[in-house]
Amino acid sequence: MELKLNVGKNGFSDIKKLVSHITEKNRVIKAAPERAVSAVFPINEHAKKLHPDYQTMKVTDIAEHTGADAKTFTLSADKAAYFRAGQYLSVSLNIGGSIVTRPYSISSAPSLSKDGKYKITVRRTQNGFVSDYLLSEIKVGDTLTVSEPLGNFFYEELRDSKNVIAIAGGSGITPFLSMAHAVCDGTENFDLTILYGNKTEESLLFKNELDDISARCPRVKTVYVLSDEEKDGCEHGFITAEIISKYAPENKDCSVFMCGPEAMYRFAEKELVKLGIDRKHLRRELLGVTKNVSANEDYPAECKGKTFSATVKTNTDEKTIPVSADEPILVAIERAGIAAPSRCRSGECGWCRSKLLSGNVYVPKENDEGRRFSDKETGYIHPCATFALSDIVIEVPSTYVNPAE
Amino acid sequence: MKIYDAIVVGSGCAGLAAALEMIIAGKKTLLIEKHNLPGGCASGFCRGRFEFEPSLHELCGVGSKENPGSVRRLMDRYGVKIRWQRVDDCFRCISEYSDGTPMDVTLPSGVDAFIDKMEEYVPGSRKPMEDFFELLRELNDLTAYLESPKISVSHLLKSYKNVFKAAGYSSAEVFDALGLPEKCQDILSVYWSYLGVDMKHLSFFHYASMVYSYVILGAYIPTHTSHEISNAMVERFRSLGGDIKFNCRAEEFIFDGDRCCGVKTNAGDFYADVVFANINPDIIYGKMMPGNLVPAREKKLSAARNRNFGARMFTVYLGLNKTPEELGIKDYSIFIAGTADSEKEFNSLKKIDTNNYSIFLCYNIANPEASPEGTSMCSFTTMFTSAEDWNNVTDEEYFKLKNRLAKKIISNFESKTGIVLTPYIEEISIASPLTFARYLGVPEGSVYGYMTKDWDSILSRIASQGADFPIKSLKPIGTSGQRGDGYSSAYMCGSIVAKAALKESDAKGGKK
Repeated sequence: MELKLNVGKNGFSDIKKLVSHITEKNRVIKAAPERAVSAVFPINEHAKKLHPDYQTMKVTDIAEHTGADAKTFTLSADKAAYFRAGQYLSVSLNIGGSIVTRPYSISSAPSLSKDGKYKITVRRTQNGFVSDYLLSEIKVGDTLTVSEPLGNFFYEELRDSKNVIAIAGGSGITPFLSMAHAVCDGTENFDLTILYGNKTEESLLFKNELDDISARCPRVKTVYVLSDEEKDGCEHGFITAEIISKYAPENKDCSVFMCGPEAMYRFAEKELVKLGIDRKHLRRELLGVTKNVSANEDYPAECKGKTFSATVKTNTDEKTIPVSADEPILVAIERAGIAAPSRCRSGECGWCRSKLLSGNVYVPKENDEGRRFSDKETGYIHPCATFALSDIVIEVPSTYVNPAE
Repeated sequence: MKIYDAIVVGSGCAGLAAALEMIIAGKKTLLIEKHNLPGGCASGFCRGRFEFEPSLHELCGVGSKENPGSVRRLMDRYGVKIRWQRVDDCFRCISEYSDGTPMDVTLPSGVDAFIDKMEEYVPGSRKPMEDFFELLRELNDLTAYLESPKISVSHLLKSYKNVFKAAGYSSAEVFDALGLPEKCQDILSVYWSYLGVDMKHLSFFHYASMVYSYVILGAYIPTHTSHEISNAMVERFRSLGGDIKFNCRAEEFIFDGDRCCGVKTNAGDFYADVVFANINPDIIYGKMMPGNLVPAREKKLSAARNRNFGARMFTVYLGLNKTPEELGIKDYSIFIAGTADSEKEFNSLKKIDTNNYSIFLCYNIANPEASPEGTSMCSFTTMFTSAEDWNNVTDEEYFKLKNRLAKKIISNFESKTGIVLTPYIEEISIASPLTFARYLGVPEGSVYGYMTKDWDSILSRIASQGADFPIKSLKPIGTSGQRGDGYSSAYMCGSIVAKAALKESDAKGGKK
């Protein structure tokens, strides 16, 4: 059907108009200057500054925490990527040929990063291959390779209540110390009540710093909850529903942020159920991966203690290595000195996303929320939170980080 | 040293299509991707119990099994299986007509229903609306005909008269010529933002191809975010013997004389007869090859384009702890605009303070599996037509700015619709132009490439495809290519350019 359509003068002029798209383009190009093309864009440069591939930083100070077997490392460089209080750094290390990472929450204020500085705190863990290394080997003047600031454990005004109850255990205080600084200096705008659980007063980290901030800033309050001793001004016992409600606002309008060891999460979560705090108001920092996977109800018991072989294909190489059924596949890859990407080590961030080409694996349910639906269907796994149940063949991506030995 | 027939740099929509096209033709193909997952924009990310769709609103060109569009045909030919979900309605738009009166319209898909509804909103629009769709239908037939192996010019001129009358003009000019009432034009203009060019500067041909697909074929989304599409394409490529390397970043292209013969990456150098670059040409020419090898015309073309990039995106992703019914959400997409006058709106989107534009989506309306039971997954998208306000943001301001803007968009939505979302936000993530720049590497965080405007319309790009990108064996693909922005355009671009490369290699007698 021919329409009575007269956009311009009908006929030849319509075709001419169509052709003019080319002639006009050629005319514009001809008139343009012939100059070198620049690929520098301010927005992209800013993005790169906030999210570098990695940061090489010098250890400029080490503070010992007596009574806690922990040290706080000050890392310095000309520039340090800015961050949200609560975020962590993934430290990359080459320890005797093993290429490993560990996530550490930044304990210093975001504003300190403007001076090119972060602070991270390392506490000795049982059989802690990396914490032993950091605590005994790293000296002032050494260089550490760290990631950009990472993670989603930070306050979101649009989501969270203005009242934040922080539940911290042991070295899990670090992200909250950063938040306390940020609230105190006005970077963040919320009220922070920290319930800090520990065995004894002596083993508390940052008590002076926390007391000092709480004294200076009415929006930050710190309550120490000691399980193994009774002290004036401290709560005694564990962080129970009773203690939480004692410090929560009367109308229970609060968001709860938790960071601590596995045992603390398991305990606190039961207590929070009693309080009826809904999921939205409950934030949990990286869980890590259970040390005792075979205790999980859905774990196939017959695999416990077995050793399998893993053929690991990288973008440049292929290697067959042993992998124990009791350890995340990533750990075996790292031990073999294969450079593989990893960050959160909890199955959450997906940075280690790899293709399982053959074999069977087990992924603990609590570590599987970060895996995309179609990845689950097509055999993509996060090796940091995945265990081998048979011999496997796996393809891992390259990494942009190569820590010095 | 490994030799490939083809290397595809970047697994965005165009890269994935090009890689599949080459592997299906039996070419030894390497696909490299700088991230640890494929897709570029076409991806997915997890927060808490939600998996968010980062960018796709509705995919053009899918169509039903019975009446497939170009994208479904392409995926079928590639052997890529996707679980599509149909989006039933076109859109709701809350705005102001050009004459300043309030607009709140909801348009269904399907031509008859669309025309009926339009007549209800704008009495007297039926006849010109019928003509409008007649024109769109003819245009679609023409596009299909152009894919046929033999093309006769006399048949073209005889059978597609209406299209030839309209194709050279802007959308606004054709609307006027069709005699569409102003209010009707205002409603039809709602889609302008999906192309990022106002109606006076947007080629009718471009606009009409998109609207045809949305209204007549219907819009579709994948069940489990765009990552489902990209992943399915990668897995198909893999199953056909393709090599894929993740976290593999192309640093620069390797040349043998003036011919591109490979690419240098963090995982080593790779060589091939042809290299497809799913990268913006300014990046290719500006930092990925020797300046003296950039052809003079390309330098002038870049200067003429002068960084006139399309939409720089800003998106707020929300996981809500209530169902759409509980929240009172009925529509899949709600456009909220200051004005339906696209030229005025385009100008207001240059600045953060004057930007009052957003597109709200509730994925569960079209896809019951979009989020866990008892929840809903929504997003707001706005865009910036200039980089100005984002160029000089400090680090400290940046996080606050993201938050302030997200808050403004959500409260504007809440007051315009009466739907309350804020107390139910369980997860939130905010992506700015910096975020898109970070993940995609696209200039200024623009996912639309250069603006498909005036002399740089898709018509002139299609017509000058022999002249643009003249470097031997290096083929830029993606939104800066002949089809412009959008998933479907990018898939088609990747496919078309790869097919052209296959023809060239056949003509040369295959692999040397």
